[in-house]
Amino acid sequence: MKRKNKIYLLPLLGLLVFTQSCTKNYKDVNTNKNAIATIGPSTLPFLFTHAEDVATVNAGNYQVAQNLFADQYCQYFACEATYFGSDRLVINQNWVGANFNPYYTDVLPQLQTIFANTDSTSAQHAMAEVVWVLAFMKVTDYWGPIPYFSAGSVATSVPYDPQDKIYADFFHRLDGAIAVLNTHKGENAFGSYDIIYGGDVTKWLKFANSLRLRLALRVSKADPTTAKAEAEASVAGGVMTASPADDAFIARSSTGGDVNGLSIMSDWNEFRMSATMASVLKGYQDPRISQYFLPTDKSGDPTPGKFANYAGLRNGLSVAQQTQPQNLAAANSHQGARWSSTSVTVGGTIVGLASYTNTPQNVMETAESYFLRAEGALLGWNMGGSAQSLYESGIRNSMAQWGITGAAVDTYIASANTPVAPGDFLNSPAVSNVPIAWSADPNVQLQQIMTQKWLALYPDGMEAWADWRRSHVMKLYPAANSDNVLIPDPSVKWLRRIPFLTTERQNNPDGVATGVSALGGTDNELVPLWWDKNP
Amino acid sequence: MIKDSVLLVLFLLACSCMVFGQGRTIKGTISDENSKQPVAGATIVVKGARISATADANGAFTISAPTDRVTLVISSVGFAPKEITAEAGQSLTITLATDTRQLGEVVVTALGITRQSKTLVYAAQTVAPSQLTGVRSTDNFLGSLSGKAANVQFTQGSGGLGSGAILILRGNRSIAPPSSGNSANPNNALIVVDGVPINNTTFATGNNDFGSLQSSDGASDINPDDIESMTVLRGASAAALYGSQAGNGVIVVTTKKGHKGRTDVIVNSGIGFERPFALPQFQNSYGQGNGGVIASDSSQSGASWGAKMQGQSYVDFLYKRNTYSPHPDNIKKFFKTGLSLNNSVGVSMGGDKSQSYFSYTNNYAKGIIPHNDLNRHIFDYRITSELNKKFTVDAKATYILQIINGKPRTGEENAPVFDVYQQPRQISYEEASQNFQTFDAFQIAHPANWASTNNSIYQSPYWMTNNTSITENRERAIGFASLKYNITPWLSVRGSANLDRTSDEIQQKYQQGTLLWNTNAGGSYAVTDVVMTNKWLDAIFEGRNDLAKDLKINYHAGVIYYDRLYANNTASTNGLNVINKFSLNFASNPATTQDGSEILTESVFGQASIGWRDAIFLDGSFRTDWASPLPAPHTFNYPSLGLSVLLSELVALPKSMSFLKVNANYAKVGNGGIPYITSATYQYDQGAGNGSIQRSPTYPIPNLKPEQVTSYEFGVDARFINDRIGFTATYYHANSKEQLVPIPLPVATGYATQYINAGNFENHGLEITINGSPIKTRDFTWDVQLNFSLNRNKIVELTPELKQFYLGGADARSGQPEVAKGGAFGDLYGYVWATNSKGQYIVNSDGTPLTTNKVTGADLSFLGNGNARELLGMTNTFQYKRFSLNFLIDGRIGGILLSGTEMNLSFSGITKNTLAFREGGLNFHGVDVNGAPVDKAITAQQFWTTASLQRYGAGQFFTYSATNIRMREFSFGYDIPVKNTTIIKSLRLSAVARNLFWIVRGKSVFDIPGIGKRTLWMDPDMSNGNGLFQGVEYGALPSTRTLGFNLKANF
Repeated sequence: MKRKNKIYLLPLLGLLVFTQSCTKNYKDVNTNKNAIATIGPSTLPFLFTHAEDVATVNAGNYQVAQNLFADQYCQYFACEATYFGSDRLVINQNWVGANFNPYYTDVLPQLQTIFANTDSTSAQHAMAEVVWVLAFMKVTDYWGPIPYFSAGSVATSVPYDPQDKIYADFFHRLDGAIAVLNTHKGENAFGSYDIIYGGDVTKWLKFANSLRLRLALRVSKADPTTAKAEAEASVAGGVMTASPADDAFIARSSTGGDVNGLSIMSDWNEFRMSATMASVLKGYQDPRISQYFLPTDKSGDPTPGKFANYAGLRNGLSVAQQTQPQNLAAANSHQGARWSSTSVTVGGTIVGLASYTNTPQNVMETAESYFLRAEGALLGWNMGGSAQSLYESGIRNSMAQWGITGAAVDTYIASANTPVAPGDFLNSPAVSNVPIAWSADPNVQLQQIMTQKWLALYPDGMEAWADWRRSHVMKLYPAANSDNVLIPDPSVKWLRRIPFLTTERQNNPDGVATGVSALGGTDNELVPLWWDKNP
Repeated sequence: MIKDSVLLVLFLLACSCMVFGQGRTIKGTISDENSKQPVAGATIVVKGARISATADANGAFTISAPTDRVTLVISSVGFAPKEITAEAGQSLTITLATDTRQLGEVVVTALGITRQSKTLVYAAQTVAPSQLTGVRSTDNFLGSLSGKAANVQFTQGSGGLGSGAILILRGNRSIAPPSSGNSANPNNALIVVDGVPINNTTFATGNNDFGSLQSSDGASDINPDDIESMTVLRGASAAALYGSQAGNGVIVVTTKKGHKGRTDVIVNSGIGFERPFALPQFQNSYGQGNGGVIASDSSQSGASWGAKMQGQSYVDFLYKRNTYSPHPDNIKKFFKTGLSLNNSVGVSMGGDKSQSYFSYTNNYAKGIIPHNDLNRHIFDYRITSELNKKFTVDAKATYILQIINGKPRTGEENAPVFDVYQQPRQISYEEASQNFQTFDAFQIAHPANWASTNNSIYQSPYWMTNNTSITENRERAIGFASLKYNITPWLSVRGSANLDRTSDEIQQKYQQGTLLWNTNAGGSYAVTDVVMTNKWLDAIFEGRNDLAKDLKINYHAGVIYYDRLYANNTASTNGLNVINKFSLNFASNPATTQDGSEILTESVFGQASIGWRDAIFLDGSFRTDWASPLPAPHTFNYPSLGLSVLLSELVALPKSMSFLKVNANYAKVGNGGIPYITSATYQYDQGAGNGSIQRSPTYPIPNLKPEQVTSYEFGVDARFINDRIGFTATYYHANSKEQLVPIPLPVATGYATQYINAGNFENHGLEITINGSPIKTRDFTWDVQLNFSLNRNKIVELTPELKQFYLGGADARSGQPEVAKGGAFGDLYGYVWATNSKGQYIVNSDGTPLTTNKVTGADLSFLGNGNARELLGMTNTFQYKRFSLNFLIDGRIGGILLSGTEMNLSFSGITKNTLAFREGGLNFHGVDVNGAPVDKAITAQQFWTTASLQRYGAGQFFTYSATNIRMREFSFGYDIPVKNTTIIKSLRLSAVARNLFWIVRGKSVFDIPGIGKRTLWMDPDMSNGNGLFQGVEYGALPSTRTLGFNLKANF
């Protein structure tokens, strides 16, 4: 038996040797070789690119963040797909979260890392501040109160902050950023990693001032004093004045996650020109129509300017109406050629572009600054020009932005044309009677400015919808049908905001509770935002 | 080398310690009369003396003889006892005959350890290889297990031939998210071949309705012809030695090897034909159009809400005059008759010292989807060799080459099945299949006009099958070399090295004009190279001793080194500069990605079984793992303990009861988690500018813990009337804790999810097997085997931070399976018809139902659970002289299946359920939101379009009870008489069939007022993919009915 015991020890000996050498290289094994573990100076600029990419609504989010909601609610497009109810005013919260979540996961961490790793007096820091405002403005303008001041730290709940406080912070950040950018004029920051201006600080300064001007007008009813001061400071500081040189466009690629978001939807045929667009563009004989939209395939005539060949449909058609021949995608105008793939044809001719997915995407353009100034001028602010001259410059710059110059623009500005009946399935009347030529009537003047601004902002539905809710001057058609039980009659009630997300109610209930109380106790589509002082 | 030499010296030393042969001895070897295999562990007792010995692994024994002439009693479980008179000093060669009572069935358990089933403390069920090779499951040999072993739920993915599948034993227990390289369901049973877990991962599967590329799994290319035995170990205890992966139970497969002194050549040849077994039910009365009117422009509105088809003249999708009449087979004809050819030859040879087995198998199959075919070659070579008395070598090499063409995508997008279902009812197969494309002056194909319900998503299925090509080329090498050294007659050590390397090349080619993927001109192309390498090294000591009189012990101790590597390189281009030239050379937008992961696990384990009087067995095991995904010290332990008592050996039982055993066990197993989640990472994306870098939105879990499954089990095994009737029952109870759960964080933290260890999922259930031979005469036998199981699942705890966890199905198109506290795994949630507080149905002012998806922020409602509550299977085998007849009836009871396919097709008036109320008159007499009655009649079109909303509907209307019982398998065989003089030893011809007909089918769950219930039409065995997204089908492939013939010759 004694001898046997020795043998028992053999396995134990083996195990001992084994366990000695066991886990030495485990850390290396458990390191992802295809990812980056830490961020340093050489990788920081890539974070800026990513923040810009997502802050401007990138391709992965574009449809569900913007196209199904803001783009349809501002009536640039009407819905063709029967399976989306948003055009009939039902908000699918699974989708609209795309205008919330990415800003927190893909913009905020990148920018906070830049803030933490750059000098607060550097141009990089200031540019990151501008992107921050650009991003969170889109979020708060959908929901109102949002998680803001406590965002970015890991916790089981993040409180929501009231919109007025958030706007105050926007101004604070922009004021600071503009001061810093002023000290770096003529310099370059982030170089080619800045895919909006290629690092041109001077242009960033104009952009920051223009953005501040936009915010000022947004709060012009809620906080007129701040609005006036910030707007005048912006104009004095230098806003965008010349299109296309000053325009902010973000580069998009032909592959990957940052292709042009509108282009990516070209072949889905889920939306078309709205009847509102048809009424205004056709009524005004607006030359931009051939840039914004394509003639219908049925017309067989791709000649630009043949207004009869463009068709739009009303927002909010029922499924039964949507499936009528006149309302089908093929019978209505597709978005313009620059956002169309080569499979888009008119009359058998390919009109789409091979490069359509890297069409630069609108961020903010010069024309808007002029219209903002025109509106400010009507309010009596010092905007460096008369309302009429700023209005007309707005039109000229918008036309220039789309490549339209010369006599046609002069003719247009002088035209007494008004919107027409779009000739849609519901035989809608003209959406309004506002002419192009500057009116003597101050009430009409404001409508003119807002109508032209609405045209100029295309296809940035995000800004157009916020602007429409704020001003509520430009006329839109009421949704043809509402599936929303809170809005039985869309001609008297309209969507004022997006209710808090279901995912937020599930994952951040305490935070949402602070949001509901900041709203005044009710969280639904009919609660106006802080800057929305309309009845 | 140094380490090896040291070990060798140690072994030699150990040998010299052994001294044999004091006085008179008798030596001998014991082998099986039939198989000629040594009978290890046989007991040799000298009659009338208290002297006994045990045969070693080679069947050899030495026993001392008290007198010159003794009577030896040789016994071994599974063999009839034998008495032999022998002289001292004699050398005996003893053969044992199989005990017809089958008591001592030998099963292969974990790590290739052979155990007598009577000693097992847990449930183990063997499945005869003939049950796998008789009526074959074309896609995956595991499909043949349905109904043949208790508590086995098999679901086939929809990627066509060779597509990944799921095999779940004893219910679902894990929600572990897909990790890099494996999207397969984390509840999949572990497949062990020749002692080593094989790679059974699936790198791509759909986790929602949208669909996906569905890749093959690792089990599908196992050749059932090479299987010698198969054991289903359902419980964690049985599998504890496999550690982390074994919580789901194990399928233990042992492959064939050569036998001593025998040469066998087995040739098997089979042919099978397949047709769809369960297709949606289509209406054939109304054609394309809207509101009862024929569509004015056929290429635009593809729904079948048109006029009654009466041979009217209309303009078809090609703008030609055509006849508006039904084509009831326009979908059936799309599906081809599948063909499967299975040819294998296996040669088994054996000398005294060395035996070998060689086989070659060719599987060729044509799928029911046009252009989908599979060609698989399997070479298998195994050699076992006795180098000398001490050393034996066992080595094997398997090489698999598999080429799959024309894989269909699953789900909805670019999926041919959905495309064909979506065509209007008056289109003929001929018109559709011959006019799907036109060629331009450059001979480039362009899609012709096509009448579909949604022209921007659904394309001509014929375009899709002809002009999309998804191929998967797989090369796989599996091999092992194992050396066994008998240190002493009672202690041996075995070292093995195993390699399983799978290399897949997946090419996806979408011709210009194909919807959805081609956002740029020229077409799109992607090539993905996936390499999975499993390396497994082990060294195991095995011993047995008599501790005292009547007290025996056998034990194992060992070390395992297990390394799993995954690498994925994808190169793709959206856009080709030369149209439809599918090579990266022509790429207009080349993009590349690289992904990979590695998991290293090292383990030490020990196991011992103590037997008293061959009647009471106490079994214990302990294992420690060091797993690389875990933080330092990377380690966790898990024990198991079990007891088995053979009451029939201890107490007097009624005469009719020939055997009675009870057993109990407790076990804990762990799961080491997924790699790279303990620290933050940043990913780079190619794109505009110089590309961009984003932080992973998942908050790391630096203190990651292993998942744990704790289980206990009680079993009884009883046999009656000389074992004519056998009965086993097992109750099991398992709790899975410390689940790795990605819980959502408030996104305002900057992170979307956070991994935590949490939860307590409970499964408990009962398994009963009954087998018997009601008739047993010389010419005629009738054997019955019945398997029954029930499983109950409960989510005892999830985490306080998380109310529910979705198992896929983003956006709730039709339904979302989820896990929530108090519910059960795979509860399905979806939108429903809204009711008020009184339970009255709310209708809109036009009389259509108000569904909850029209209410902003409405919560999803519970629809049912997607898992079966009970599973059953009954096999009847009749043998009359040379004829045999075998059939299997199996089924499932309980659980629901949500048909997204029907939801979508109902919207378009395509399905049969849309026939009633076409002309109107459907009045629900509901109430409006204020409770006022609404008396409005609507049409079928109004109803179904409201209920289904096409792609994002109210799942409640399309929910079916998945209960079904079917004639699963049928075979009729004849043993052709062969003369003794020919070289053929036996020849058997059989006719086989699979999925013959339904016996019982469930009904739709929701009784729609005025419309009523419909009968289940789809096969719950089919799923979109093989991930966690189950219980919802959305364009799943129809299952197939197989008819075939098989010829097996033994030379």
